[in-house]
Amino acid sequence: MEYILKNGIVYDPANDIAGEKMDVMFKDGKIVSNVSSDAKVLDVTDKIVMPAGVDPHAHIAGPKLVVGRIYRPEDSRKGVTPKTDVCRSESGFSIPSCPATGYRYSRMGYGTVVEAAVPPLEAKHTHEEIMAIPNIDVPPLPLFGNNWFVMQYAKEDRIDELAAFISSWLKIVKGYGVKLVNPCGSEAWGWGMNVHGIDDPAPYWDVTSKEVIRALSKANEMLGLPHSIHVHANDIGHPGNTPTTIGTIDCVKDITKNSGVRNQTIHMTHLQFHIYNGTSWRDVESGAGDVTDYINKNKHVTFDVGQITLDETTTMTADGPHEYSLHALNGLKWANKDIELETSSGLVPFIYSGKSPVHSLMWAIGLELFLGTEDPWQVCLTTDHPNAGPFIRYPRIISWLMSNERRQEMMDNKEVHPWAHRKSALATMDREYDFNEIATITRAGPAKIYGFKDRGALTPGFNADIAVYDLNPNDIDPSREPTAIEAAFGAAMYTIKDGQILVKDGEIVKVVPSHTIWTNVKGFEEQENAIMEKVMPDFNRFYTVKFENYKVHDHFTPYPIVVDVQASK
Amino acid sequence: MAYEPPVTDYDEIVENCTCAFCGCNCDDLDYLVKDGHVVGVRHACRLGASKIMEDMDQRLLVPMIRDENGDLVEVDWEAALDKAAELIAGAVRPIFYGWSETSIETMKHGIRLGELVGAVLDNQATICHGPSLQAVQNVGYPVMTLGEVKNRADMCIYTGSNPMNSHPRHMSRYSTFPRGWFRQRGRFDRTVVTMDPKYSDTAKMSDIWVGFDQNGDYGFYNAIRAVLKGKELQQDVISGIAKEDIVELAEAMKNTQFGALFFGLGLTHTISKQRNIDMAIQMVTDLNKYTKWVLMPMRGHFNVNGFNIFMAYEMGFPYGVDFARGYPRYMNGETNTIDLLTRKECDVFMVIAADPGAHYPGGAVKHLAEIPVIQVDIHWGPSTEIADVVLPGSFIGVEAGGTSYRMDGVPIYMKKAIDKPETCRDDEWIMRELLERVQKIKEKEAVASK
Amino acid sequence: MKTITLTLKKKSPISLEFDELIPDKIYNWEKADFENYDVPVGNTRFPLTDYFDIEVEGAAEGPEEVKMILDGDMGRVKYIGCEMSAGEIVVNGDADLHCGAQMKGGKITVNGDAESYAGREMEGGELEIMGSTREFCGCSYIGEWRGMSDGKITIHGNAGKQLGECLSGGEIYVKGNCDILAGIHMTKGFIQIDGDVTRWPGGQMKNGNILINGKLGVLLEGLVFDQIVKDPEIEGKNFSGKYIKYTGDIALNGKGGLYLNAEKNRDLL
Repeated sequence: MEYILKNGIVYDPANDIAGEKMDVMFKDGKIVSNVSSDAKVLDVTDKIVMPAGVDPHAHIAGPKLVVGRIYRPEDSRKGVTPKTDVCRSESGFSIPSCPATGYRYSRMGYGTVVEAAVPPLEAKHTHEEIMAIPNIDVPPLPLFGNNWFVMQYAKEDRIDELAAFISSWLKIVKGYGVKLVNPCGSEAWGWGMNVHGIDDPAPYWDVTSKEVIRALSKANEMLGLPHSIHVHANDIGHPGNTPTTIGTIDCVKDITKNSGVRNQTIHMTHLQFHIYNGTSWRDVESGAGDVTDYINKNKHVTFDVGQITLDETTTMTADGPHEYSLHALNGLKWANKDIELETSSGLVPFIYSGKSPVHSLMWAIGLELFLGTEDPWQVCLTTDHPNAGPFIRYPRIISWLMSNERRQEMMDNKEVHPWAHRKSALATMDREYDFNEIATITRAGPAKIYGFKDRGALTPGFNADIAVYDLNPNDIDPSREPTAIEAAFGAAMYTIKDGQILVKDGEIVKVVPSHTIWTNVKGFEEQENAIMEKVMPDFNRFYTVKFENYKVHDHFTPYPIVVDVQASK
Repeated sequence: MAYEPPVTDYDEIVENCTCAFCGCNCDDLDYLVKDGHVVGVRHACRLGASKIMEDMDQRLLVPMIRDENGDLVEVDWEAALDKAAELIAGAVRPIFYGWSETSIETMKHGIRLGELVGAVLDNQATICHGPSLQAVQNVGYPVMTLGEVKNRADMCIYTGSNPMNSHPRHMSRYSTFPRGWFRQRGRFDRTVVTMDPKYSDTAKMSDIWVGFDQNGDYGFYNAIRAVLKGKELQQDVISGIAKEDIVELAEAMKNTQFGALFFGLGLTHTISKQRNIDMAIQMVTDLNKYTKWVLMPMRGHFNVNGFNIFMAYEMGFPYGVDFARGYPRYMNGETNTIDLLTRKECDVFMVIAADPGAHYPGGAVKHLAEIPVIQVDIHWGPSTEIADVVLPGSFIGVEAGGTSYRMDGVPIYMKKAIDKPETCRDDEWIMRELLERVQKIKEKEAVASK
Repeated sequence: MKTITLTLKKKSPISLEFDELIPDKIYNWEKADFENYDVPVGNTRFPLTDYFDIEVEGAAEGPEEVKMILDGDMGRVKYIGCEMSAGEIVVNGDADLHCGAQMKGGKITVNGDAESYAGREMEGGELEIMGSTREFCGCSYIGEWRGMSDGKITIHGNAGKQLGECLSGGEIYVKGNCDILAGIHMTKGFIQIDGDVTRWPGGQMKNGNILINGKLGVLLEGLVFDQIVKDPEIEGKNFSGKYIKYTGDIALNGKGGLYLNAEKNRDLL
């Protein structure tokens, strides 16, 4: 089937197309440079056309999510909709059910969403949920930062073995890249403790976060994985954590990148939670200036923001100790889920309010990060869904980024507490994103950061993953019309995935199964076999499942996209 | 117990099979197979081994329909499935109950069927750990995988639970006896406490037995929490336990390195039901101010947790999900099986891999006897006696593969080891057939109404 | 003023759901509208006329001008007055689950017993039950820590377990006896019970007040003796007599108040 999207105004940053009126063509699910006269014409005259969205960091599938859904029926109840001829029932606001997750991303014009934290032991669960999520492709990131084997190799600087371990485990769990969450700190939570900073060793392990981060980065580059290490740094949410954050980024600066498909060697996630200056919540101030100064001078780092949306949401992270401290803060019901040999995790409902001084400051810090980072290819739009807010608020964040007027108005009429401007530089920043920059931080940039060679751009040969928004960029003044911007980005005129029209005029018209994207390292088989032989005795002694029942069998990924990588030294 | 010589006469060994009995989902079983039957099971407990080896005992082998004389008579699959589909399609308040002894793959078709006709989907949690889930929803869910206990725990508490009888390998494989990374001496590195009005077999194995009064659980845990807050207890004896003992116990719990609390139906089914768990969860949450504590419900069936997880990721609610109005509703006491049966609201009941005839309160069974019941199961049981359509399934983890979730949420793919009896069908196939047949009926109805 | 009278002629074994038949939605309905209305029953809808004789008198400009009279045994009619904001509903018989749930205003009178969940998550208005009610009267939705926030529930008979669970405001008055765990997890509001109470009122309460005029069975350790008060004033109401005052639940650092009639509970003095 051939299609031609006619007369749209195209934003395709990867191909340096910034608001050109042109046609986009696709055939059999792929972008092409010309089509025959039989092609079906979709008239999108003067509408915005972009590659489909790519979310680089969200929690959408897996054991934590299901704990959330089980223990927050009051959240599930909020988003309940009746089934339709096309869609099943939806439920949930901050933790939508799997079908709802797929539909809602699809309605916003998204095509790919990274599931950011998979405990390998329960990876089958994550894959089961991915099977239940329609319409978006999902690369899952397994957790390595507190894995007992990893900590041992890191401590002894056995990078070859660590690389072999990672390449084996990516195959075993069908994962895409290497995720670290509060390295050494989540292990410390096994004893109800935490680590502070990157030089504080995990109890009994005699290895520090810095050593784990560096070892994993070296192993990641040894294998030449398409994505860099993906780091949730230590000391999340603690006033005074800025030096830890800069120290984390800086500690891998000397490690040489070994991949042509991406620019960075470290991706920092939900950076907003990690840049608080001061010593307590009383004297806390924004550290965004310090961090953006560093980032603007250093190209080996990219990040996503984790923007506060001022909603009632559910926090969930593999950072177990952090969740307990959130519970201590707000007293709401605490869930915890520690995974043997691998990680901890936890959940707490959270009510972010513009009335709260701290929450308002956090809101401002996120926006400062967006506005203070000069190169839009280094920054991605996320809410660390659902931690800082649900992903359905992305359109609202876009409207804030495009309108200084709206931001000032929120500060002026007390929609946020005065701490937002008193303790951050937000009020002095009048930068406004244009549509091209929005396209960069929501699709082109994340795709580049993940080294995707089939999405995030409208390059011929790429998947026909396209979003069309009902906005005429020559007509609208985003600075003055934030509501219209939010409405348009919230309900795509078309969402096209692999050449199929899934959304029309903001409504789902077609439901397709999701693909699981995972990385298959080749040329490292010998080292992998050797490491498995070494790992097995400890595996059998300390895990509570048999190895045969640990791995993710092929039938858990019925629609895989396997990214083959040639390991090179 | 008489000595039984080891089984030596077998054709092959199938390793790493998963036990389809309790929520321990032990996945280290070896089946000794001869002539297509499991003749011996290694590593399993007696409960698991006997269930697996006696797979042909009172086995349902053929589809049946109850005739006008009230007798179950053999029919072909076509007739049985059509009859079941017709009943389901015509129901006004159908319930699909059970699911805890079948695979996630089967549930996937079951939920589609439920959504299609507007049924209530519910599982054994409704009569077992439902109160635990309600408490979790009220105050939280601090859990872990069982390996955390094996590798770290120096104190294990069993309350209202008797794993020596109900989950025989729980203590030996996961909690008490195994040697772990930080507990190299196994049992000797741990203190085991049983809290139970009864001096159970587990209590006999324990270092400390706390025999609080029946229905005394809520008051007892409330007192421990008060002690943790530094309160001087007023009453000398609380729930049958001397106040000095409560203080001593609270201190011991504070001074462990890693504690794990396992609770069973003894806690969920006393007078204050979910509030016992509610209080215990808050106690564990409090204890994390001092040291590390986690807890876990001792789930009964091998996939009872799986259904809760499955329903939550599909529809946002763990059990008792009512699709009657075209969207999911979850309301304890309204959308649960027992309430709908004792209120005599349900008009067609399908039971999948469960035995309500054996487990339900009398009032509920009485209503079941009055309405059409469809049974999908492998064994003849009390539910068969009240069933009107019987669809013989297959044995997950033995005759059919399938995904299940252990009590701690670890997913395990239970592989197939032998072939099912020729006349039986996989649960997954049965459910898909029913879905397709009901879809056809509904399509016809839609055309007719136009 | 519009009076709508529904007289039961056939009781359905499967509950009818009345959430669409509240004054807010039907104030401008004529008799014919009711006759054309299909009421949800299980997974189906059936004509309302299968179950009720319908009379409509007068006219209404808004829900506040509506009086609905439900005559007969409504023991299989759920969600009566659910989410209503104005007007009046009188049930001449028993009411099924969720009577007055999420009610925002107006008044419901049940001249009989009410099933569980009566007045769940009430935000305003008045619910009066002339008979008894069962579990979770005036409670929250499961998992929700914010429960009934305003309005008043009066129960002339007895109340079941977990009355006013997670109460966050408003008032519940039980003239009869009450079962275990009244006011569990409550954070605000007032519960008055004139009769006897079995066990554990105020378990896990954070704040708010409970006053019991009858005899209490078992008291929790989490509630700490504060003082003997005479003629206390609680939430703007004056009570005469001597009361033993406890605060708690200390297990949650709670600051709630539990007042027990000293005369009836001498054993605790």
